[in-house]
Amino acid sequence: MDNYINNLFFTYLPHIAMTLFWFGVITRIVKTSKSIQAESSQFLSKKGQRWGGNLFHYGIIMVFIGHFTGLFTPEHFYHLFMTTATKKILAVMMGSVFGTVAVAGITILLVRRLKDKRIRINSSPTDILLIALLLIEMGLGLASIFISAESSVENYAALGIWAQKVITFQPDSGAVIISHSIIYKLHIVTGLFIFMIFPYTKLMHMFVLPIAYFFRSGYQMVRRGFTKRPA
Amino acid sequence: MKIQTQIAMVLNLDKCIGCHTCSVTCKNVWTMRKGVEYAWFNNVETKPGQGYPTDWENQVKWKGGWTLDKSKLHPRMGNKVGIMKNIFSNPYLPQIDDYYEPFTFNYSLLHSSSKFVTPPSSRPHSMITGLLMEKIEKGPNWEDDLGGTFEERSKEKNFDDIDKEIFSKFENAFMMYLPRLCEHCLNPSCVAACPSGAIYKRQEDGIVLIDQDRCRGWRQCVSACPYKKIYFNWKTKRSEKCTLCYPKIENGEPTICSETCVGRIRYIGVMLYDAEKIKESASIANPVDQYQAHLGIFLDPNSPEIIAEARKQGIPDNFIEAAQKSPVYKMAVEWKVAFPLHPEYRTLPMVWYTPPLSPIQEGIESGKLGLNGIIPDVDMMRIPVKYLANMFTAGDEKPVREALVKMLAMRAFMRGKTIDNVEDEQVLQGTDLTPGRVEEMYRYMAIADYEDRFVIPVSHREYAFDVFGDKAECGFSDGEGCSSMEIRLKNLFGGM
Repeated sequence: MDNYINNLFFTYLPHIAMTLFWFGVITRIVKTSKSIQAESSQFLSKKGQRWGGNLFHYGIIMVFIGHFTGLFTPEHFYHLFMTTATKKILAVMMGSVFGTVAVAGITILLVRRLKDKRIRINSSPTDILLIALLLIEMGLGLASIFISAESSVENYAALGIWAQKVITFQPDSGAVIISHSIIYKLHIVTGLFIFMIFPYTKLMHMFVLPIAYFFRSGYQMVRRGFTKRPA
Repeated sequence: MKIQTQIAMVLNLDKCIGCHTCSVTCKNVWTMRKGVEYAWFNNVETKPGQGYPTDWENQVKWKGGWTLDKSKLHPRMGNKVGIMKNIFSNPYLPQIDDYYEPFTFNYSLLHSSSKFVTPPSSRPHSMITGLLMEKIEKGPNWEDDLGGTFEERSKEKNFDDIDKEIFSKFENAFMMYLPRLCEHCLNPSCVAACPSGAIYKRQEDGIVLIDQDRCRGWRQCVSACPYKKIYFNWKTKRSEKCTLCYPKIENGEPTICSETCVGRIRYIGVMLYDAEKIKESASIANPVDQYQAHLGIFLDPNSPEIIAEARKQGIPDNFIEAAQKSPVYKMAVEWKVAFPLHPEYRTLPMVWYTPPLSPIQEGIESGKLGLNGIIPDVDMMRIPVKYLANMFTAGDEKPVREALVKMLAMRAFMRGKTIDNVEDEQVLQGTDLTPGRVEEMYRYMAIADYEDRFVIPVSHREYAFDVFGDKAECGFSDGEGCSSMEIRLKNLFGGM
């Protein structure tokens, strides 16, 4: 690929995308946090929602954890436990299992959203586009597993090196993956696009995942009454 | 002892005529909005029947309320981990079809269309999709006045332990009305199941509310509530519920359902209770003892020690005075003629019901069946006592029977007094009633003056938040002020 375009997409675009992502997330939380919510359509139709919702969400959470640890664990750190070759096998195996689970789930969700009249009529165009976009991204991700499986260990390790160079602001980050397959590259660019639109979509609901529920003492919530408030 | 106050309600089912005025006025005030067309914060069911949503009393299916797990109490849906693992898909969530698909009619078609070949008709349109509906399958009160077949209606849970086949015969049929609204429980399971912490109980009046700004639409509360009184707004995708008309209550006025009740069946009053006893009372091993345990939570507002302690704990004087005059306290605790709805759910509900009297069966009139002393035997009534007991005392017939006897005795005594001009104390035999108490019961339950039915203290200005900044707010919104959903969707930060 042309050096200039490669640099644009894999050295600079990640920074642009991350800037837009964090700017958007922070402004959205500060300005309009009340509208961040899960937009469940289960109430109108549960058909397919049980399998689709669970498979997709649990699959994608595992895929996310896999990406995060796989890309950002420094080489000398994971070498304490395993070789790069072992890590690659682990990544290919875990990725194909959870990737397939997530793709199966979102496919069910897409079919449900298109086929079910109640859901279709009450969907905004972006509800459907977002699912399609995620499906494309996940399809590319699954396809890239085959390439990883067949290519060299160095080829696989370069992906982690690229990610770590990006987050440490190295100017040569794009060069690391210049000769990688177009599938990886499309996966990365689509992913960065999703990051850029993230704050303006319902994907924001993951920021309100109610972890605090576990730390609530007991079950009940009572708001104090009969306490004089400062004038 | 931690004394708290609760605005509670009693519904005298003996006088409910099933007119649905409460439901309609409530609907007009609270749920005439998109997304909650199907929701009735107050609805009236004909019993026996599966109710609204269908089969709501079946907690094996819906997992509402609490369960005891090795003497530890947790929501029947599961503990915190159990609830959170179902956050992506709630297996116990009722569907809109379990309530009914809301519909409307395009009446303007009758004006605009050309001459009909057939008699003019207006077909139903779904309010969810806008599409024509072939057939209306269900409505908010589908079983009104025993509509439908006995087979369907009798699937409800209150027939447990009853040989129900004999009631399928026309001459044995019975019915009663059951108006239902949020119970504003002392141990609410909806609050417990809300992972966002958006649902809360107000300490000063016990009203359970959903903070619309904090609801994130995880929809666990809908299944957690055993009375199915939390409604999922499918448009805003957040939950909503009965507010006990808190703006009116705070102002010392009754709720809209109570205010407009033509049968004067509703009573609102203050109850003092010991908040420290809630957990213990909700954890009683045998559900049949739940009603007695619930009674044990309430405190006597006339006892000098309680009054002194309540003052010390900061309960305002007008709340204590209201508790002393509370019609709810009289009916539930003093006279024991009112009962909680399904105490076995362990939520300690605070909307109580006086069981209905019903006609004495044919047999007694033809002289074949005897009287129990002077007043008729309650077992001769059309509505089986066991059925009422399954509804109000987890199957314990004794308290229900005693309440019915008291009500019959009151009738017999007052009939004698007003028609024959004799105070026949014999009819009070076997009850703990005295002529004085009967007169008082008669005043509250039969005459039911407005001032006696509603004893509601005005909440205190000095305890309130400064709400000036919230003036001209729009009540239920989708969380971003008064703009409509459509405007929000155009907002850059409003979500796609």
